[in-house]
Amino acid sequence: MSSQASPMPGSASPGPVRIAARRPKPPIWGGRLQELGMLLPACILIALFLLLPFLSSFEIALTNQRLIPRPVPVRFVGLGNFQQILTDSAFWTALWNVTRFTIMVLPIQCGFALAIALLLNQKLPFRNFFRGLFFLPAITSMVVVCVIWSTLFQYPTGPFNQIVGFLTFGLVGPIDWLGDPTWAMPSIVLLSAWQAYGFQMIVYLAGLQNISESLYEAAELDGANAWQRFWHVTMPSLRQTHIFVLIITTIQAFKLFTQVNILTQGGPRGTTDTLVHYMFTAGFVDQRLGLASAVAILLFLIVLVVSLVQRFVVRDRR
Amino acid sequence: MSTVVSASTPSPVAKVSAKPDIGAIVKFVAVLIIALVVISPLFLLFVASLKPDRFQILADMGSFRAFWVSEPSLQNFADIATFSGALPFGRYLLNSLIILFCTVLGGVFLNSMAAFVLAWGRLPGRAVVLTGLIGLYIVPQESIVLPLLSLVNKAGLGDSFAAQILPWMASPLYIFLIYQFFIQVPRDIYDAATVDGASPFRIYWSVFLPLSLPVLATVAILLGIETWNQYLWPLMVTQTDYARPISVGIASFFGHDSVYWNSAMAASVMMMVPVLIFYLAFQKWFVSSFISSAVKG
Repeated sequence: MSSQASPMPGSASPGPVRIAARRPKPPIWGGRLQELGMLLPACILIALFLLLPFLSSFEIALTNQRLIPRPVPVRFVGLGNFQQILTDSAFWTALWNVTRFTIMVLPIQCGFALAIALLLNQKLPFRNFFRGLFFLPAITSMVVVCVIWSTLFQYPTGPFNQIVGFLTFGLVGPIDWLGDPTWAMPSIVLLSAWQAYGFQMIVYLAGLQNISESLYEAAELDGANAWQRFWHVTMPSLRQTHIFVLIITTIQAFKLFTQVNILTQGGPRGTTDTLVHYMFTAGFVDQRLGLASAVAILLFLIVLVVSLVQRFVVRDRR
Repeated sequence: MSTVVSASTPSPVAKVSAKPDIGAIVKFVAVLIIALVVISPLFLLFVASLKPDRFQILADMGSFRAFWVSEPSLQNFADIATFSGALPFGRYLLNSLIILFCTVLGGVFLNSMAAFVLAWGRLPGRAVVLTGLIGLYIVPQESIVLPLLSLVNKAGLGDSFAAQILPWMASPLYIFLIYQFFIQVPRDIYDAATVDGASPFRIYWSVFLPLSLPVLATVAILLGIETWNQYLWPLMVTQTDYARPISVGIASFFGHDSVYWNSAMAASVMMMVPVLIFYLAFQKWFVSSFISSAVKG
């Protein structure tokens, strides 16, 4: 199902020459001008607001340009920005944090999504209602999620601390979830997974519904129990879906910013600083546009590599 | 593509016939409980927004009183739904709605027009444009926002509505989604329209647009959710309340010593309600939109 990533450009569309020869149209030039007029607005916007900033980031990254220009002329610094980033321990901390986040959020978010999808794939009254209910967090803005969850994480009397205290008979004292260097990142992981699992859930649901019923019938005839059917029929049939879900979730995870910016500002002691947050601080707060552009390029390269991995893995299977 | 999810084929697993009722009831109750637990944070938000005392909200949070409001009041909403002053959330909401409306309307129109030419036009070089768009699709928004901010400031568009609408209207992903829909339209339909000597725009407008409501709805929903939830870009580009959207407004509650939880809760509900209304009205479309973005992406 996730195989339509790159259609052959041109070959899929109708051959224009053949048509033109068969049916010469009187307003051919007028028609082409009109087509140009229809294609250009979108292309101009994309060129101005996506291509141009993207290309210029490569140029800016080689200079010491500031966000608000200073009277001093901009200087070419070569690869100095990259050198500075790669020798900055805060950058490596940010990269490690975002990796840590990804490693934690992948199993939690995708596992939970798969579990809910399996539940919803059964014969169940009000199934569509439940699906709609479980999808609600996915359409909730991250800013709103931050408002709700910061009260849940409240120190010392918030619901999470009450539950932990209750379950451990008060042995574990209240924890400052977002203010404790050990717990800040796991807390961010939990609220991020809660906000985003809905997307993975519906992708898994679609994958589950594509599995042929005859596979389950054959397994049942062979005497496979529910657990064996899950491991030997469901899981292998979902292979493509797994790959897709893992790649998409990884790319999302590497862009982690909003919840960190709102709830912890990268703290405590840099334990929740991320790549995008590092870039934001360098470029927007400290106004060092050149340095931030270099981070942006590194971020792009990471996303590119992850996407290429997906292309190769998917192509491999076809 | 919308049938992938909505076609609810009875599950292969549920084949137990001997004692179906007890098992089914247990399963139903289990799902219900899980759903209630998972969704409870959203429920807490709505309950808390009706409590006018900000200290009471926090005090209640740790107990079951969080699920109940004895004297519901809309005071929180009345306090912040203003258009000037310290927390002009009426203005922020209106700004967000303006940005949403313009981006979605313009985006659906421009992207579908371009997709039509790429799929059915006779313009030379269409394949090159399409390949270029597919290549650009991979560039994440996060890695262009800072150079873009510099460009927008130089162009004198800082702190404006235009700076929040124009950059995100046209998008390679949405052009590509609509393109894939258009190329599946049977060629007879296109031929029949050209026989009448209709111009390209005419064919697009009166033949292809009416045919493609499902994909247009998909693009409108995805682009709408994306626009509504924008945070990083408006955080950087807006400097005053003039064009500030509600997401950045809500974030400004944080970072102080004491958060006005009553106002923050009410503002969050204000941000959720428009999405909820659309979601309740078009639930099936929402889910299938996200599916098709996944499958095609």
